[in-house]
Amino acid sequence: MSDKWPAILNAVKAEVSEMAFESYFTNLKYVSCENDTLTISAPSVFLQTQIDKKYRGIVIDAANSCGLPCSDLNVIVKSTESQKSTVIKRGAYEIRPDNAPQTISTSYTPPSTAPRMAPSGNITTYAGVKRFTTTDNGLNKKYRLDNYIVGSNNDVAVNAALSVIENPGTRYNPLFIYGGPGLGKTHLIQAIGNEILERNPQMKVLYVTIEQFYHDFVEAMRKKIEGFTEKYRNVDVLIVDDFQGIVGKEKSQDEFFHTFNELDQHNKQVIVSSDRRADQIATVDERLASRLMQGIPIDIQMPDFEVRCAIIKMKADIAHQDIDDASVEYIAGLGCRNIRELEGVLNQVFLRADLRNKTVAEVIKEDFADTTQLAPAQRQASIQPKKLVEKVAKYYGLTSDDLFGTCRVKNINTARQISWYLMSEELKMSTVKIGSEFSKDHTTIMSGLKKIRGSIKTDFSLREQISELREQLYA
Amino acid sequence: MEVEILQDKLAKALNAVSRVAASTKAGLPILVNVLLRADDNQLTLTATNMELATVEHVDAKVAKTGTITVPAKLLAEFVSNLPKEPVTIKTTGDKMTISAGKYKSTINGILADDFPELPKIDVEKAVGFKINVDIFKEALNEVIIAASNDTTRPALTGVYFNTFEQALYIAATDGYRLADKRFVEDVQSEIKAIVPASTLQEVLRLVSDSAQEVEVQISDSLICFKMGDVEVTSKLIDASFPDYRLLIPKNTVLNLELDKAELQRMTKVAALFARASGGSIVCEALADSNTFSVSAVASELGENTATMEVEVSEDEKVALNSRYLLDALGAAKDNKILFGISSKLEPVVIRNAQTNDYTHIIMPLKS
Repeated sequence: MSDKWPAILNAVKAEVSEMAFESYFTNLKYVSCENDTLTISAPSVFLQTQIDKKYRGIVIDAANSCGLPCSDLNVIVKSTESQKSTVIKRGAYEIRPDNAPQTISTSYTPPSTAPRMAPSGNITTYAGVKRFTTTDNGLNKKYRLDNYIVGSNNDVAVNAALSVIENPGTRYNPLFIYGGPGLGKTHLIQAIGNEILERNPQMKVLYVTIEQFYHDFVEAMRKKIEGFTEKYRNVDVLIVDDFQGIVGKEKSQDEFFHTFNELDQHNKQVIVSSDRRADQIATVDERLASRLMQGIPIDIQMPDFEVRCAIIKMKADIAHQDIDDASVEYIAGLGCRNIRELEGVLNQVFLRADLRNKTVAEVIKEDFADTTQLAPAQRQASIQPKKLVEKVAKYYGLTSDDLFGTCRVKNINTARQISWYLMSEELKMSTVKIGSEFSKDHTTIMSGLKKIRGSIKTDFSLREQISELREQLYA
Repeated sequence: MEVEILQDKLAKALNAVSRVAASTKAGLPILVNVLLRADDNQLTLTATNMELATVEHVDAKVAKTGTITVPAKLLAEFVSNLPKEPVTIKTTGDKMTISAGKYKSTINGILADDFPELPKIDVEKAVGFKINVDIFKEALNEVIIAASNDTTRPALTGVYFNTFEQALYIAATDGYRLADKRFVEDVQSEIKAIVPASTLQEVLRLVSDSAQEVEVQISDSLICFKMGDVEVTSKLIDASFPDYRLLIPKNTVLNLELDKAELQRMTKVAALFARASGGSIVCEALADSNTFSVSAVASELGENTATMEVEVSEDEKVALNSRYLLDALGAAKDNKILFGISSKLEPVVIRNAQTNDYTHIIMPLKS
C-alpha cells in the first residue's frame, strides 16, 4: 500500500499552496492503512499538529481519490533523528552507563522501522545506461548504511556521512571521500544517497560515475540533446563516483565545475569520491580542486584486522554461510589488499564449501597447503632494486645517480630514505643488503628507515606519496 | 488589522521572538516570518521553527482586529531603528504598512492561514510547577553546560528533567562529564522528559527581569515555559536518557575542600600550557607535603605547576580536561568546593561545600 503514498502526496500538492506543501508534507511517512484509518508519521509534534488540525480533510480526500479508501487519519510522531548511537573511540574515557565493552566496530542501524518507500524516480534518463536493480537515480539499493561496517579506518567518513544525511547541503559541502580501490567508497556514498531518499522521498538524488557524466556530456554536445543541464543541475543531491576518471577531459571538467558551482550556490549537496585527493589528481584545474577540497576531504583507509573480521562475518551472514571464528581470523589475516580482494577470497571459499558440501573450516583446512591459490597474488620482489630506485627518483624529479650519490640536500635525502623504506617493506631486503646497494653502513639505513616509519604516522602527504609509489611499483 | 503600539514595546517583543524565526533552517519558507495577531487590545507575536515556538503578548490599541505574517528579521530591524514614538500598523491583503513619525514602510507578507498551527499543551495531562526566576536561571546554567551538541546521540543534546524520591532533578551529560541538580522539592507526579538544550538556552535568554516566576508545564511530548508576557513551547527529545545515577560514585577515596577562586586561577594558568596537549592538565594531591597541585606540560612552550596547601590524607593523581574543570568550577556557586578523587581512572566529583544539591562529575583523560 505504501506505493500509493507518493501519489497521495501529489494529490495533496494540487490542493495546498506550494509553500505549505514544502513545509509540512515533505517529511511525512506512510505507516499503515488498516480498519479504514490511514496512519502516517511526522517527525515532530509540531508537524503532527499541522497535519492533524489543518490538513486532515485534504489528506483523507487525497487518499480516497488515489484508491486508498479510509475515513479517518491518524498522525503519529516518529523522530527521524538516529536513536541508536554509534560508538566511536575518543581520547577520553567515556561515561558508559551500561558498561558495554568498547567495541571497535559497530554497524549503524537506521532507526526507522517504517516501510521503505520507492523513491519517486522522475529524473529523465536519456543517455544513462540502466543497470541491474538500479533505479532511475543510479543508486543501487543493496548499498545501505546498516550493512556498512564502521571501524577506525572509516569512522570519520561515516560520521560526516551521517551529518550529511541529517542536513544535506549544509555543513559538509562538498563531501569528498577518497581512498584506495575496493575500500568501500562507492558503498558509503551510495548508502548516503539511499538513506537521504528514505528520509526525504521528495528529494532528487542522482548518482553517476564520472564516466557517465562525461558520456552524457559528450552525447548532449554531439546530438544537441536538451536536458543535460536539467538532469544534473536540477537535483538536491548529486553523487559523483570515481572522480579521478576526469583526467584529460578538459571540457567535462569545465562543465563539472559549473555544475558544482550551481549546486553549491543553491545549497544542494554534492558528494564526490576519488582514489586520491582532488589536488593530487594531475590535470585537474586548480580552481576545481580547491573547490572540491573546500568542504571536507576525508580518507578511507584499509580496515584493520578486527574490522576485516567484522566484514567477513557480515558477508558470511549475507551469503547464509556458517563460518567459525578461526576461519574468520585466518581469512582476515591473508593479506588481502582491499575489501574487494577479501570478497573474492570469501566467494571462492564459499563456493568450494557449497560444491563439496563441507563447512568453511574444512575447506580451509583442506586447502591450507594450497595457501597461494587461495590468497590473492602475492605482490613481491618482482622488481629489481635498481629499477625501484629509478622509479622513486623519477617520481621526485631526480635521477638514480642523485639517490645513489652522497648529496645530503634535504629532498634528495628524503627520496633516498623512501627508496630504502620501499626496499625494506616491498622487496623484504635486509638493511645490510640495502646498505651495500647504496655503499652505506647498515646502521645508516636503519636510522633512515626509523625516520620514515616515524614520520609516516604523522605526515599525511608522505603517506600518500609512498602509497602512490607503491602502486607504481606494481603497475 | 489596525494597531497602535509604543515603539520600545514592539521592538522588545520582536527582538524576543524574531531569534526563533531567524534561526530557521532553509526549506520551510514561512517560518522566517513572525505572526502578528491583533485582538482584545493586545498584539500577539508568534514565531516558530517547528521545534520550539515563542509567543509574546504586548498591550496595544487595537482599532481593527486581524492577522498577518511578515519576515521577522526585517521587521525587527526596522522597528528597532525607529524613533521612540507610537507605531501604527495597518494591513491590506498580504501587505503590511508600518509607520512612525516620518518613517513609513510597506512590507510584503504572507497571509496568516499558511502559518503553522502551534501544538497546545494539554493542561489536564500535564505536570506543572512554578519556580522563582533566579533559582530557575541558576539551576539551568549549572546543568546546561554539560549537554552535548553531538546530534548523533540525540538524548545527550538535552537536559533531562526527572523525578527521584519526590524531588525533580535536572541533569545533562555529553559522555565525558555530567551535571546533576536537585531542582524542585516535593514533586508527587512522575516526570521523565528530555528538553532540548537549545530550547533552554532560548528560555534563559528570554527570562525577563520583570517576571518573578516561571511557570513550567510538561506533557509527554511538549514542554511549555511561561514567563510574564512570553511563552515558549518546545518539543521534547524522543529518546531515552542513560540511567545516570549509576555513574555518580557513591563515595570517593579522597575528598578535598578547596577554595574555588584559587583553584579556578590555578586551572586557568595551567590551561595556557595545556593548549598543546588538548587541554590535559594533571591534578595531584600529596599526603606527605599536604599539597594539592595543578600542572600542565607543553613540550614546546614549557611547563607550569601551581600548588596550594590543603589537608591530604592519601596520594592521588588524575588528568582532566581543563575546559571541563573550568566549566564545572564556573557552575558551582559556593566559595568552597569539595573535590573528590578515587583513582586516575575514576570520575572526579565536584560539589559545593555548603549546599549539597549540585553534583558535577568529570571523566579523567587517559594519560
